[in-house]
Amino acid sequence: MTDVTPYEYIPAVVPPPEPARPRLLLLATSLVSVAVGMGFMGLIGHYVSERAVVIAAGERWLPDGVVIPLTQPNFMGLTLAFSVITIWWSVAAIKNDDRPNAFIAFAVTLVFGFAFLAQTAYLFTIMQLEILTSERSALIYAIIGAHMVITAIAMGFAAVMALRTLGGDYSSRDYEGVLCSALFWTMMVALYGVMWYAIYITK
Amino acid sequence: MALTETRPETPAPSPVGATPITVDGLLGTGDHKTIGRLFIGGGLIGLVGGLIVGIAAIFYANNYDDLAAASIDYLPQVWSLSRDLVLLGGLVPILVGLAVYLVPLQIGAPSLAFPRGAAAALWTWYLGTALLILAYVFNGGPGGGRRDFVVLWAAALAMMVGSLVWAMVCIATTALGARTHGMTLERVPHTTWGFLVFSIVGVLSLPIMMAELLLAFVRIRYLHLPIDQSASLTAVTDGVSLPPALYWIGIPVLAMAADIIGVHTGRPVRFHRSILVVIGLFGVLSYGADVVGLGSVRGVDFENGLLVFGLLAAVVPVLAVLALTGDSIRAGAFVPRTALVGALLSGLLLLAATVVALLGLVEPIMGFLDELFPDSIDMTNSLVLNGTRFHEGIRALVVGAALVAAIAALHHWSVKIWGRRLAESLGFVSILAAAGGAVLLAAGEVAAGVDDQPWLPVRATDDYPAGLAAISLIGAAVLAAGGLVLAADMAMSLLGRKPAGSSPTEWRGSTLEWATPSPPPVGNFPAAPIVTSANPLADGELRYADGTAWAGDGSSADDADQPVAVEAGEEAR
Repeated sequence: MTDVTPYEYIPAVVPPPEPARPRLLLLATSLVSVAVGMGFMGLIGHYVSERAVVIAAGERWLPDGVVIPLTQPNFMGLTLAFSVITIWWSVAAIKNDDRPNAFIAFAVTLVFGFAFLAQTAYLFTIMQLEILTSERSALIYAIIGAHMVITAIAMGFAAVMALRTLGGDYSSRDYEGVLCSALFWTMMVALYGVMWYAIYITK
Repeated sequence: MALTETRPETPAPSPVGATPITVDGLLGTGDHKTIGRLFIGGGLIGLVGGLIVGIAAIFYANNYDDLAAASIDYLPQVWSLSRDLVLLGGLVPILVGLAVYLVPLQIGAPSLAFPRGAAAALWTWYLGTALLILAYVFNGGPGGGRRDFVVLWAAALAMMVGSLVWAMVCIATTALGARTHGMTLERVPHTTWGFLVFSIVGVLSLPIMMAELLLAFVRIRYLHLPIDQSASLTAVTDGVSLPPALYWIGIPVLAMAADIIGVHTGRPVRFHRSILVVIGLFGVLSYGADVVGLGSVRGVDFENGLLVFGLLAAVVPVLAVLALTGDSIRAGAFVPRTALVGALLSGLLLLAATVVALLGLVEPIMGFLDELFPDSIDMTNSLVLNGTRFHEGIRALVVGAALVAAIAALHHWSVKIWGRRLAESLGFVSILAAAGGAVLLAAGEVAAGVDDQPWLPVRATDDYPAGLAAISLIGAAVLAAGGLVLAADMAMSLLGRKPAGSSPTEWRGSTLEWATPSPPPVGNFPAAPIVTSANPLADGELRYADGTAWAGDGSSADDADQPVAVEAGEEAR
């Protein structure tokens, strides 16, 4: 019989574990979201200031014959509002290890994204705003086009995260990528809200 | 007890050049050290090129008679190329390169966060810079006559800015999320903190410039801007090249100065947290004051009260950092090395920039007083500098400060970066040339502003004194010479000098990068360091997470033949 107690097997100084490095993707996504938001707000700032100058001079902002209908932008906003719910549904689902629901949520979100892009393209056709007619129309297209690019990036990000979820990379223990995708998507929708008010509502 | 076991052979640190450098190895690298070196090298080439083009810009701007007769006015293109290259093709990439290299080492991380992303940023920046130069060569850029190449200029500049923003995201993420055990934010070295603030301010402000570039792209691409008015596109880069936004590149200048002064005087700066606070304040002021100026007319809007406040307040953090580091200089040993002298000079140049910028406030302050006391203030003799070449004077001082800081930093960390030392004599020459040239150029440009000469790219008037023109021209040439000497120093060091070896410098810092071999191996540290103070090497008792201890210059726990962290100043005393 040995006289060594079990406690003596426990070293007095236990080396600490490797520093946990979670949240790197979340930090980077937050910074990128801020950067994208600042760039987009810079565009909106230009739009608002130039519009104010033109209106102060007593002129009409939109070129003659151009009408921006409200129905399409409202439905586009509604589509994106639903997409926010579904993208966060994917986060909630993966937190519960509910993969089927996570996949459905991702798929529905991407469908909403495609629907939004399609509606924007349709809006272009009914606005009859020629990009070459005036600098104002070019400015409007630059802003809407920039938001379409941001939307496409958000969709690509969500698709990659969906595939990684499909590959088993994410679960209730680690769902950082899915969370980041939702964060970027939400930022994109928030930017649409700003654009909706600045361009489609105030015109 | 006799030691019967031989010490295990530890692999000697491999200096740069010891292993063959292959193209696929460079293109596919994910090592933050290689990426940082490539950023620094490319930035140095861009900086020297930009400074040389800057001489031509000053030459054209001074309205010499023979040039006035020229049928084509190249001034907007030359000036814009110089400004683009010096800032976004030179100084900012050098600072980003230093950050990519140093931040993981200083916080005890084995690598940068998203190293492949940083590599992508590096190559995108190189491509963007090459396309930018190509655009100017084929008569593009602001003031250019070929629409396609003006469009290419906007796209190339957007690529450069976007890649730098992405690199800054990697740097900030590393500093915020990859710190080792015990490395709280209040314990991070000044340099890392400065690069963190620098990166965050860059992430917040550079995208606005990208938005302006997008609008410029659309305007010129869709024929809304007549090609003969393309010179107006120089305004696109005003957002980052005018004070107080320009002070943004001064943030790491202050931070590196604090670290370098602490090491070379042998007295780590006592008021660590205070310096972190004032560096952060400097970042907030440079950014905040810039933001409130948005939407105003292009150029510095001196009628904006908050902007006036920002310019006034920017002096305080610079003074504070110099005052706090002054304690180390006073109590420590002043060993006149390139790094120490450069750090001091860079801080003083930055202080000069913020103080000289205050001259521009005479006009709005007099205007304010005139509104309060309309009958008692005579505005006719008020100093009106807004919209004159005065802005170029401030820019020269800030650029000079950043260049001198870069020289000091490269001398301070050269053995860590390349495993080789830079020549002290050449270092002094480059620092004195850069600082002297910046002061001369600033003096000439501020004097031109007082003489009411219009801001570039408008040429000087016919009555512009030749003496003032000569001061600016000589200053620009001497400043460029400073950059050239630095480039020559680095080239000679890399190509001709032997590796510095295992005990490479007379100075040894107390931050974590000095616990690694020179240059550090892949992975940087044998295990994650455990940090208990802001100067973890000061007591020589750094421990790693695997239970081993640091005992010298190398990463091996038994590398006892290396001197324990001793400051040069301590030895001197």
